[in-house]
Amino acid sequence: MNTIIEHGPSFAWLRAKLQPGEEIQAEAGAMVSMEPQVEISTHLNSGKKSGIFSIIWTFLVAVSRKFLGGETVFVNRFTSSTSGEVILAPKLSGQIMARSLRPNAGLLVQAGSYLASSGQVDTKLRFGGLRTLFGGEGLVLLHCEGEGDLFLNAYGGITEIPINGEFTIDTGHIVAFDDALDFQVKGIGGLKSLFFSGEGLVCNFKGQGNVYIQSRNLSALIGWLSPLLPR
Amino acid sequence: MKIEIQYNTAHSLATVHLEAGEAIRAEAAAMVSMTENIDVSTTAGHGAGGGLFGGLKRAALGGESFFQNLFRAVSSGAHVSLAPRLCGSMLVHDLQQGEELLIQGSSYVAAPDSVQLNTKFQGFKGFISGESLFFLKASGQGPVLLNAFGALQEVQLDGELIVDTGHLVAFTEGVQYKVTKASAGWVGAFLSGEGLVLRLEGRGKVYLQSRNPQEFGQSVGRLLPARKA
Repeated sequence: MNTIIEHGPSFAWLRAKLQPGEEIQAEAGAMVSMEPQVEISTHLNSGKKSGIFSIIWTFLVAVSRKFLGGETVFVNRFTSSTSGEVILAPKLSGQIMARSLRPNAGLLVQAGSYLASSGQVDTKLRFGGLRTLFGGEGLVLLHCEGEGDLFLNAYGGITEIPINGEFTIDTGHIVAFDDALDFQVKGIGGLKSLFFSGEGLVCNFKGQGNVYIQSRNLSALIGWLSPLLPR
Repeated sequence: MKIEIQYNTAHSLATVHLEAGEAIRAEAAAMVSMTENIDVSTTAGHGAGGGLFGGLKRAALGGESFFQNLFRAVSSGAHVSLAPRLCGSMLVHDLQQGEELLIQGSSYVAAPDSVQLNTKFQGFKGFISGESLFFLKASGQGPVLLNAFGALQEVQLDGELIVDTGHLVAFTEGVQYKVTKASAGWVGAFLSGEGLVLRLEGRGKVYLQSRNPQEFGQSVGRLLPARKA
């Protein structure tokens, strides 16, 4: 499969050229255009080798996310009988990055940052704990594992941060991180800073691995826009 | 007339240089700045779209502004700069005599009076998709200034291409289209998030935008506080 990222960093899209037998999975609604020989099938995003419990769990998550607001939990899989091209784009402005995955070294991806994956990459929804539902910055994570390529989108530019020790990131700026890292979501400082620092929730990382962050924060845009709306 | 575009991809700005007597008609509110030797008149589509009814039809169906502003240079060395509402690119399509360009309503920015604009009624197939499928039909001759949400990609079509309606900017008349569903079954078409798509066929130019304004609006909109009734 030949993949190209174009029009970055502001409005990147992903162009994937599929050979017969190859497949790319993408977030529902991401398709911009495709050649007529490309076929699309829709699946519940519960992982490819999932059992019945996992499917029920995903369905429950799906229903709750529908009410709490969030991305769709459906994915589309694109295949092509002869060589064919599909173009995929995220919803927000920003960059796309490609990251290859090796077995036993997964990546936790903020659910809205997942654009597409190919090869034997399996994706499963996972809550980052109850805590993460506070503050409108719910950190809903997608665990991506296996072997293949992963394509992530960000709101703004993407920076890779290698961590060796401890590091703190605003939850709204997290794109993805290695699953080898320990993480804990909390308020910055005490109760006073939680309300007045303007930082909301942060994620504290410990260990060794990479974190990918985005240069803009959707919650911040919402926070800026909301008071300007007519009542 | 010379149109110069700066600051693509993200925050494009178009500067239209006008000789004495030359004029350009632009979407309401597109004007950023202009020299003092320009006469501005606001019309409901006179000239470019055929009177009051033309303006109404374009605004209601074409997704474009009801009023248009005509910028006419009284003397030489005049220029007016134009910008669209959303972030993204602009480009100039040089319309040739005898050629027609179908434009998604919100992608049109400006054109001189030598270009006629009409709303092309798409029949009932346009209604099903829920997205505005009324295209503005540009005919005549001259530069047509288009804007996109995100980057603009020109595609030389020779054959078939399936395109999400929200990513289509414009295409030339040689391209035919059909509204179809993205996947084979109805359930899949609904769940896939792609809904209905356009199947373009033929030979010609197709312009795509790298972001879908509707999808962006929905992702941001659902997080905003509810409007009080």
